[in-house]
Amino acid sequence: MAELLKKEVAEKDIDLGRKISLLLDKTKVDEYEVYISNSIDNEVEIFEGEVESLSYSDSKGVGIRVFKEKKIGYSYSTSFEENNIKDCIEKAILNSKITVEEDINGLPLRNEYKYTQKPEIEKYLYNEDFFKATIEDKIEISRNLEKIAKGKDKRISGVDSLNYSDNFSEITMLNSHGFEGSYKSTSCFLFLNIISKEKEDTSTGFGFSYERDPKKLDLEVIAGEATKKSLMLLGSKKIKSKSADILLDNLVASQFLGIIASILTADSVQKGKSLFKNKIGEKIFKLNVNIFDNGIMKNGYSSKPFDAEGVNKGNTQIFKDGVLNTYLYDCYTARKDKTLSTGNAVRASYKSTPAVGVSNFYIEPSSKTSLKDILKSIDDGFYVTDIIGLHSGANSITGDISVGAKGLWIKNGSFDFPVKEVTIATDILSFCKNIEAIGDDLKFFPSGGFIGSPSLLIKDIAVSGI
Amino acid sequence: MLDKNTAKKVLNKLLCSGGQFGEIFVQRKVSNNIRLDDNKIENASSGFENGCGLRLIYKDSTYYAFLDSLEEDKLLESAKILSAAVNSSNANKAMNLSDSASVYNVNILKYPNEVLPDIKKGILLNVNETARNASSNIFQVTAVLSDTEEEIFIANSEGVFARDFNVKTLLAVNVIAIKGSEIRTGYKSLAKTKGFELFEEKKPRTVAKQAAEMAINMLDAINAPSGILPVIIGPGFGGVIFHEACGHGLEADAIVKNASVFKDKIGKKIASDIVTAIDDSTLPYHWGSYKFDGEGCPSQKNILIENGVLASYLLDIKSSKKLNLPLTGNGRRQSYRDIPFPRMSNTFINTGKEKPDLILGSVKKGVYAKEFSGGQVDPATGDFVFGISEGYLIENGKLGSPIKGATLIGNGPEILNKIEAIGDDLDYAPGFCGKNGQSVSNEVGQPTIKISEITVGGTGT
Repeated sequence: MAELLKKEVAEKDIDLGRKISLLLDKTKVDEYEVYISNSIDNEVEIFEGEVESLSYSDSKGVGIRVFKEKKIGYSYSTSFEENNIKDCIEKAILNSKITVEEDINGLPLRNEYKYTQKPEIEKYLYNEDFFKATIEDKIEISRNLEKIAKGKDKRISGVDSLNYSDNFSEITMLNSHGFEGSYKSTSCFLFLNIISKEKEDTSTGFGFSYERDPKKLDLEVIAGEATKKSLMLLGSKKIKSKSADILLDNLVASQFLGIIASILTADSVQKGKSLFKNKIGEKIFKLNVNIFDNGIMKNGYSSKPFDAEGVNKGNTQIFKDGVLNTYLYDCYTARKDKTLSTGNAVRASYKSTPAVGVSNFYIEPSSKTSLKDILKSIDDGFYVTDIIGLHSGANSITGDISVGAKGLWIKNGSFDFPVKEVTIATDILSFCKNIEAIGDDLKFFPSGGFIGSPSLLIKDIAVSGI
Repeated sequence: MLDKNTAKKVLNKLLCSGGQFGEIFVQRKVSNNIRLDDNKIENASSGFENGCGLRLIYKDSTYYAFLDSLEEDKLLESAKILSAAVNSSNANKAMNLSDSASVYNVNILKYPNEVLPDIKKGILLNVNETARNASSNIFQVTAVLSDTEEEIFIANSEGVFARDFNVKTLLAVNVIAIKGSEIRTGYKSLAKTKGFELFEEKKPRTVAKQAAEMAINMLDAINAPSGILPVIIGPGFGGVIFHEACGHGLEADAIVKNASVFKDKIGKKIASDIVTAIDDSTLPYHWGSYKFDGEGCPSQKNILIENGVLASYLLDIKSSKKLNLPLTGNGRRQSYRDIPFPRMSNTFINTGKEKPDLILGSVKKGVYAKEFSGGQVDPATGDFVFGISEGYLIENGKLGSPIKGATLIGNGPEILNKIEAIGDDLDYAPGFCGKNGQSVSNEVGQPTIKISEITVGGTGT
C-alpha cells in the first residue's frame, strides 16, 4: 500500500489557474477569482485489531467567482477539460444575473488589508516527514492506540470508533487584480471513542490528537484521556435541579466558545444576528479576558498565509481585558463598516463562496491558575466533562444555551460522584459575564475553525435534573 | 457514463489479488444553490461534479479510493493500487452484470437545472415578502433554494448493475422575530425528490408563513419548566426523537460494533405495544426516498418495530454478510467520495388510533413539543438531548403559554417503553442526517405521541 502515499506535488495548479484566467479574460466579466484546491486524504478505521476500512483519495476542484456589473456569481467543477471550464464559467455568469447589485462588491484591494505584511507561516503548515509514514505505519499507530486503550482498565469493554485521518493539500488562488498565491499543508488527526461497562452501566469517552506528522501523535495521551473520561462517568446518578457553579473542562469550554465565535463575525453583526451588535468598547466579561483570532499561529491548524480572498492573515485581538475590541472582517463586510479586512474570509472547500469565519480562535489562558486551584475553590459545584446537543440546544441568535451534560459533582474542593442526564442552561451574555476563573490549560478543539479554551469556572448556572 | 464492459474490467482488476467484493460507484451531479438573506439574493452558486468511488472488501476490511474522473485508464490504475492491499494469491473474477430493478419510479415534470434563475429568484423574493408581511415583529428572513440532478451508476462483483437518475429540490426558510428584548427564530422547509412542480402543490409562501408564525408565536414564550414531566410530541418533525434516539441504534454497523443498546434484541419487546416503527425508502417523492441505495440495492419498506417488538435492523452489504441477515436497502453514501454504511431513509412511527385532541386532554400538567432544533444521541447508550424550538405548556388538557429554552433529555430505549398514546395524524418532515462525516437526505415522521414522563431541562420552575 505504500504507493498510495506517493504524491507528485502538483506544481501545475498555477498553470491550470492561468489557463482558466485566460478563458475568463475572454468573457465580459469585470473581475474574477479562481480558487483551486488539490488534496490527498487517507483514512484508517480500526476495529478489534483489524482494519475496518482504509480509504484514499486524490481530489481536485476549482471554484470560480465572477463579478459583473457589481453582482457576484459562483460555480465550481471537478472536471478541467476546456469545455467543462467553459460550462462552469457560463453558469457563474448566469448566476451573477440574479444576485444583488452592490457598489461594495468586488475583489480586495491592497490598501484594504489590515495586515500589510505577508506572514512567514508557510513553513509551519507543512512537514516533509509526513510523507515518510507509510500506510502500514498509520495502521500500526491506530492498532497500537486500540491496544493501549484496552489495556488501561478491565472495565473498558470496547472501542466505539477509532479513526486515523490525514490530509495533504495545496491551495492555489489567482484573481484578475494580479494576485497569485499558493500554500501547502499537511495534517493528521487521530480520534478514539471508547466504551466502558460496569454492571449494567455503560459510558463512553473520547480522546484525540493532531499533528503535522503522524509519528508525533501521542497515543498515551489520547488513550489516557478517553479512558479517564469514560471510566469516571460509570455509576453516574441523576441529581435534583439546582443552581450551581460549574467548572467546564477545557474541551467543553471551547465548544461553548465556538458559539460565541460564530457571532463575532462582522457578517452576523451587520445582519443584526449578533448579540454583540453595538457593543464595541463595552466590557462584556467581568474578568479581564483576552480573546484572539490568530490566523498565523505556528501550531494552529487554521493558520494560512492568506485568506479565502487572498488577503494576508494576521493576529486579531477581539476582546482586550474583557472589552470588545473588534469584529472579524472579510473584504465585503469591512467596506460596509468602512474598516479593513482582518483576513477572515474562509471557505469550507472549492464548493463554497468566501464567507466570514474564524481561524485559530482562543481565550488566553491564565499564567498561574491551574484546574486544581479552581477545583479547590469550589464548595458545591459541577465539573462538566461532556456535553451533548450543543447544536440543537444553543441558539446563537437569541443567545439561549441549553445542553445535556455529564460530569462529576464537586464537594468541598474535590470530586464527589458522577452525574448524568442533566441539562445546563444559560445565555451567551450571562455566560461571559459570569466567568469567575480561567485555567492555565488551553486546549484546541477542531470544529469549523480551530477553537481553544482553558478550563473555565462559571458562577450560578441552572442545572436541571429530576 | 460507463459501459458494462469497462465496469467489468475494473471489477476484475479490483479482485485480481484475491479481494472478495469489488464495486464501482459513478456519479455525475449538477447542483444549484441560491440564498436570500437580509432582503437580497446574496449568493447564487452552481456545481458540476463528476467522479467515481472504488471499493474492495477482503475479510472484514474495506479499501476505498475515489477519483474526480471517469477515464478508464485512471479507473484501472486506482483499481490496481487498491488490489495491492490484498495479499491473497487467488485471483477472483467478477460475475456477469445484470440490470437491477426497483419498485421505485417517479416522474419528474420540471427539471430544476432547466428552471431559469429569474424564476428561482422570484420564489425567494416571494418567501421573503410573505414572511415579512406576517408581522411587524419579523426582523430578518433567510431562505435557501437548492436543487440537484444526479445520475448514478453502480456495478459490483456479485453481478449488480444499477442505474438511477434522481432530482431533488429544497426550500428552507429561517425567520427571526424581535419584540422588546426577546429574539425568537422560526424554521420550516419543503423538500422532495421532485422537480419544480413541487411548488405548484405547496406554495413557497405557505412555507414562509409557517416559519414566520413559529417565530412570532415564540415571542411571548416564558421560561420552560424543568423537571420530570409528561410530554406530548407533535406530528411530523417530532419524529426526529425516534430517528436520533432509536433509529441510529438500529443501523447495523452499530450492532456489528457492539455499540448499540439494540444488539441481540430482535424478536424481543423493546417498546410499548402500541409502537410500530417503519423505515420506507419507497414512499414516492419523499425526501429520503431513492430507487437504489448507494450500493445498488433496490429501495424497500422495512418494519423496524412491530407492536413493540424489534423486527429488523437497517443493513448494508457489509453488515448483512457479517450478521447473516437479508439486505434492507439502507447502504447509503453522500457521494462517490464516501464509503457507504447503514443509514435511515424515511423513518417514522406508524399512525395510531387516537385523536390528538383526546391525547392532549389527558395531560394535566406537561409540555407540548411541536418543533425541535435538532438533537444528538450517543448510540452506545441511547442517551439523547433535543432542543425544543417551538413548545407550549400543557395546563389541564389545553395548550398554554409558549416556552423557551427547553430541552428534552433522556434515554431512547427507556422512552420507547414510555409511549402511552399514539395519534392518527401521521406526518413527515424532511431534513439531513449527519453520521461519520457524511450527510444524507432523510425524512422523519410520526403522529402525535404522548410520553408518560421525560426530563425537561429549562430555566423556569
